[in-house]
Amino acid sequence: MTDRRENLILVAPGLLLLAVAFFWPIGQMLMLAFEGPDGPTLDHFRRFLGDEFYLTVLWRTVRLSLLITLICLLIGFPLAYIMARVGPRARLWLIIMLILPLMTSVVVRTFGWMVVLSRSGLIPSTLRDMGLVGRSYAIMHSELAIVIGMVQVLLPFMALSILGVLLRLDIRLEEAARTMGCSFLSSMRSVVLPLSAPGILAGSLLVFTLSASSFVTPNLLGGPRVQVLAASIYRQVTQTLDWNFAAAQAVILFAGVALVLIPYIMLMRRPAHG
Amino acid sequence: MTRSLLLSFSAILAAGTAANAQTITINSFGGAYEEAHRKCIIEPFEQATGASVQIVTAYSADGFAQLRAQREAPQFDVIHFSGGQEIIAAQEGLLVPIDPASLSNAGDLVAAARPNLEGGEGPAYSIVAMGLLYNSDVIETTPTNWSDLTNPEWHENLVLTDISNTYGMQGFLMLNQVAGGDLSNIQPGLDLVGQMLDGGAIVVSTSPEIMQEFAQNDAWIAPYSSDYAFVLQDAGLPIGFVQGAEGTPGVYITANLVAGRDNEELSLQLIDRSISPEAQVCFAEEMSYAPTNVRAELTGEVAENTPFGEEALSGLIRFDPQTVEAERSNWVDAWNRTIAR
Repeated sequence: MTDRRENLILVAPGLLLLAVAFFWPIGQMLMLAFEGPDGPTLDHFRRFLGDEFYLTVLWRTVRLSLLITLICLLIGFPLAYIMARVGPRARLWLIIMLILPLMTSVVVRTFGWMVVLSRSGLIPSTLRDMGLVGRSYAIMHSELAIVIGMVQVLLPFMALSILGVLLRLDIRLEEAARTMGCSFLSSMRSVVLPLSAPGILAGSLLVFTLSASSFVTPNLLGGPRVQVLAASIYRQVTQTLDWNFAAAQAVILFAGVALVLIPYIMLMRRPAHG
Repeated sequence: MTRSLLLSFSAILAAGTAANAQTITINSFGGAYEEAHRKCIIEPFEQATGASVQIVTAYSADGFAQLRAQREAPQFDVIHFSGGQEIIAAQEGLLVPIDPASLSNAGDLVAAARPNLEGGEGPAYSIVAMGLLYNSDVIETTPTNWSDLTNPEWHENLVLTDISNTYGMQGFLMLNQVAGGDLSNIQPGLDLVGQMLDGGAIVVSTSPEIMQEFAQNDAWIAPYSSDYAFVLQDAGLPIGFVQGAEGTPGVYITANLVAGRDNEELSLQLIDRSISPEAQVCFAEEMSYAPTNVRAELTGEVAENTPFGEEALSGLIRFDPQTVEAERSNWVDAWNRTIAR
């Protein structure tokens, strides 16, 4: 049996499972987006794209996801660098501390944030005692709360992606740059950053897609007044039972994330340069 | 060897299917309600019949959506609704008509609790009054009217509930009525809510969150229901409950038999237990729910605080459930736009 055939046979069960359990149901659901009372239609998309309210929801989702990705990068890269340069034991402890939030249930974690960020919570009451904010200030149920909660849970994805790449980086390259006269920051900029680009890209992609499609945390931390796209889809499905519109929104979300994927795939196709 | 394996496998399968026949699936509303539900109806039921009950936490609107989605293969045996969804569900054939003779307690129910058993609408086993919850330590003069909520001094500490929750919907419709609107025009209600939000009011979506707001976050007043007022008072908080002078919306919590399942006998027994005098007295004592069975005897403080009997119940306002269901998706859309930041 040829190699290729053998590979295909080995991969067939997995592909079949994926096809039956994922592609087929999702495909059926996405077809709902084009369904109308008189046959296939783009009305649902027109309804979404022509309505300022829904465009605000879409823009908020994208804006927050980009912001979360940026913050995760700014915190994650230095963190990953430190983790790569310390000894193995310290690295282990840092990794454990990093992924500890992921080990608790998302709901428990979010309720923890509610205690800290709500009107009588630790941070607003401290700010109030210092006289910086008004009586009814609360961070809870705002975009800031969503960003804080999401950064906490997505930071490990970014940091660990970059860590994986940094660990394989030969430290002698950095040392060579330093002995050639580069300052620490210059060696970071010209040696470490370009070489860790695949890790940064992978981490950013993970964080962006996860935060764009995230539902539980923005719903609980943002409250009913601050809606993101995933929360809007949930409401359409469960409350108004407008499944066609919800499917259209899902398609738009999927398209948005796929649009981000395309530059990534193009970047990865470039031959790696040492 | 193979024969004994085969025998043991078939024994396990048989035991498995026998066990399955003794499980029914229902929904409940979570939090303090679900605890009272377990204590007053579910646990006594399990002890009496030996069956086991699987509880799925789902509010009425969610549960109704699930029932519609599961039309071909329903997963619930008994479904509880608080927002009148049973009327639409019965029309759509999702619920099974109930022969009053199959429920031993049906004859003792007030008329309002069993308008259409033969059509599939299950009996109501609890009735809740909507009114104003207020912190009596902060608000010294008892509010008397729903229109008192328009007082701008209170808006910063006012808690509104999202209309995905039945209590939130009923509270909003009452606010709308007070603001001059009706079921065909909710704009006055939306304008009033907009004013409240501008003044600093907040919106929550579940009952436990309301409790949290009163307990920890300095909430002064909220349009909500008598049962959670009772729970908060029980917990030691200085909460008062008053029915507004303009009228009191009544919420009827019903237990309904789902079509297409093969556990009808057992499910009917559960529904029967829900409307039995013992369960109703228990519910009244736990969370001040008004009984619907005239044989339920309330005593002491509970009897004073709970509306009971045909007369008290006939004074309750009921927003036409058919209209509410028909307009729900438009209203949710308009509501989301109003509360969006």
